[in-house]
Amino acid sequence: MIELETFRGEARKWFADQNLPVVPLDIDGRFEVLRAWQRTLFESGWLGISWSTEVGGRGLSPVHQLVFNEELVRARAPQPIGLIGLEVVGRSIEHYGSDWQRRELLPRLLSGEDIWCQGFSEPEAGSDLASLRTSARDAGEDFVVSGQKVWTSWAKQAQWCALLVRTDRDAPKHKGISYLLVDMSSPGITVRPLVQMTGDEEFCEVFFDEVSVPKRNLVGEINAGWAVANHTLGSERGSYTVRRRAELEVAFDDAVAQVQSWSGGGRERVPDRVAAALGKAQIALQVLEGQTRKTIDRLVAAAGPTAEDSLDKLLLNGVEQAVFESVVDLLGPFRTAPNLAPFGLEAERWIHDHYFSRAVSIYGGTSQIQRNIIAQRILGLPRG
Amino acid sequence: MAEPDDQKLDLPIREYLDRAFDERRRLGMLTGTGTDRDFLRAVAAQGWFSLAIPESYGGLGLPLADLAPVFAALGEYLVPGPIVENCVLPSLLVERASAEGRSALLATVEDGAPVGLVAPHTGSTWADQLGSVRCTDGKLDGEMSLVRFGEQAELLVVVANDERTVCLVDPRTDGVIVVADGKGDPGSSTATVRFRGASILGGPAAEGRSAVALAAEIRGWMRMLVGCYLAGVARWSFDQTLTYVQQRQQFGRPIGSFQAVQHIVADMYASTRSLENMCAAAAEDLRDASPQAVDLRAACLKAYAAESARRVCENAIQMHGGIGYTFELSLHWYYEHALALRSWFGDERDLEREIGFAVLAGGAARNTTTQEVAG
Ligand SMILES: Cc1cc2nc3c(=O)[nH]c(=O)nc-3n(C[C@H](O)[C@H](O)[C@H](O)COP(=O)(O)OP(=O)(O)OC[C@H]3O[C@@H](n4cnc5c(N)ncnc54)[C@H](O)[C@@H]3O)c2cc1C
Repeated sequence: MIELETFRGEARKWFADQNLPVVPLDIDGRFEVLRAWQRTLFESGWLGISWSTEVGGRGLSPVHQLVFNEELVRARAPQPIGLIGLEVVGRSIEHYGSDWQRRELLPRLLSGEDIWCQGFSEPEAGSDLASLRTSARDAGEDFVVSGQKVWTSWAKQAQWCALLVRTDRDAPKHKGISYLLVDMSSPGITVRPLVQMTGDEEFCEVFFDEVSVPKRNLVGEINAGWAVANHTLGSERGSYTVRRRAELEVAFDDAVAQVQSWSGGGRERVPDRVAAALGKAQIALQVLEGQTRKTIDRLVAAAGPTAEDSLDKLLLNGVEQAVFESVVDLLGPFRTAPNLAPFGLEAERWIHDHYFSRAVSIYGGTSQIQRNIIAQRILGLPRG
Repeated sequence: MAEPDDQKLDLPIREYLDRAFDERRRLGMLTGTGTDRDFLRAVAAQGWFSLAIPESYGGLGLPLADLAPVFAALGEYLVPGPIVENCVLPSLLVERASAEGRSALLATVEDGAPVGLVAPHTGSTWADQLGSVRCTDGKLDGEMSLVRFGEQAELLVVVANDERTVCLVDPRTDGVIVVADGKGDPGSSTATVRFRGASILGGPAAEGRSAVALAAEIRGWMRMLVGCYLAGVARWSFDQTLTYVQQRQQFGRPIGSFQAVQHIVADMYASTRSLENMCAAAAEDLRDASPQAVDLRAACLKAYAAESARRVCENAIQMHGGIGYTFELSLHWYYEHALALRSWFGDERDLEREIGFAVLAGGAARNTTTQEVAG
């Protein structure tokens, strides 16, 4: 296996030689540019780094994957569009999927030809995910799916959906769930985008009305989807935290650079409050750095999803919010006139990132749910 | 339950404390001066103070970073006294001190004579109220308040002239006047140390730029190891709480089954684990780091330790209810000592500012994950 520092050097050189794409603000423009960028990354061998070669990956370690991500973020390059496929559901298909699913679906997932979404949450099943009602009925050759999902990111653009469905109404709630892969062009699917706090139309409502799904699209066994779902959620908590750390560090370094160019490097113009806010963010990032070393150890040991992922995610939530709160707080009254750039801070970006940081404690399981998991599954406290 | 990395260096120390540091002895210190000369003599004989002394001077020659798990253990047992001064100061100074200074330092390593640190040791908020010391032609003038174990110390390390001189002085010398400040911390007692033309021991250990660097090193290691001690305080307070919420019953069930309690305990756990992980990461990185690298890392660690250990202690008291507020239970000793250590060499509020200015001056270098895996 290629040595890590050599690999890092190759990635760094590759980014240095690239014309990085300029990402438009409007969501459709952004989608097209980032999809083309995914294709470029794929063709250059930078996607599926830790996936097996038979599905189009490179068969390297999860740490190679992290190193590449770090170089991407530090090069100020955008992430490819298909992150939900690449980082969340794709990993579960790689792990639990059938030969057919892996062979047919994963190469197109990597190249960005297929964009994936994650159909877990429902109007009546958010934190209590296992109470989901969207159902799949056995109709011989196919399953027939009916119901509704919500907050499904990128559903409007997606070709495929990893869908949690109820396949046994009579079983205890965790034991009647199956994990299906659904072609979003199937008749009977309606997608309605929702506007987020940031103004983006990123997540959607998705309606399923008697949608036929071939049985070969079932991941793992029937009624055994909960374990697969937990694998997916584990990626959304543990390894996501390590990836996000690199992004937060770079964002913070950019904020520091903006203040430095305003202050001219000296201390005289810098109010104590500005220094204290930056110091607070730096401390928070250092906490996350110490924490993610343990996550990396688990990834190296291929430990699989554990309740420890919830500890990472809970800490990430606090750190991410502390970082952006500290920076955006320095805009003070200028947040209403972002073009004036107080202390050199590019206000529009920080306002957007700060809004997005309010979502981190909701998606992937809320902070309250992570605390429940820590208390009950790590610490062994009794259920109330 | 997942445990922090098993460390080796702290094991003999834990064994010794289980044997020799009983509740009577601890209470004697906590209600007395915060230390005990016999105890210091005994732990010196155990070799505690020679861990980081260079081998050429008869020590084990360990990097100070390796003492991180030792200080976490000391925090768990709430061992009071000038242990951090006696571990750090002789190790950092022995090679630089004058011949007289060196033999005085090595004597403290041998028999545990308390070493006091007369240095600016608060964040900038209180700096002006602390005092300052000048050193001219080998004579000291001025004063410094809140010197830990100022009265008990048998050797003083003095950071003078705005950190441009570091020297040693024997507190029994003429011109050294020590006045107790009163005792607001069970784990230490402090004093104001006044100098009226007192002679230093031999020549200064460092002057000019090398003194500034040495003062920063002293500050950095104090912050780092006190941060580790606070991690131990948090660990003990958390462990007590986890046990208690499973035993104590109200409304016909353990209080640990109530979600309001579970969430606070989960947060205490997250604070404790992340602080421990931060200590382990810093210990790993600072083993052979440059003294400059120590400064910012240690400041971040101390800031987080100051904030999180305090919060864990407060939540521990809250989760125990009325009994948590009693003198009889040890929770308050941990809390009170944590509050005192929190401010020594900067609490999170002063450090945030200091770190912010350091970051703006270009001090923050980012690690890469490969360095972390390799480490
Ligand atoms: C930006 C964003 C993107 C998302 N993308 C996706 C996606 O692509 N696919 C997908 O499936 N989902 C997605 N989600 C949905 C997300 O997973 C859910 O919003 C989340 O799980 C919470 O569910 P809910 O919104 O129904 O809130 P609820 O479960 O109704 O929670 C409301 C409040 O009650 C609290 N609460 C609920 N139950 C408990 C409990 N047992 N103990 C303590 N407190 C509790 C919660 O913490 C929260 O504060 C996304 C969400 C966001 C914000």
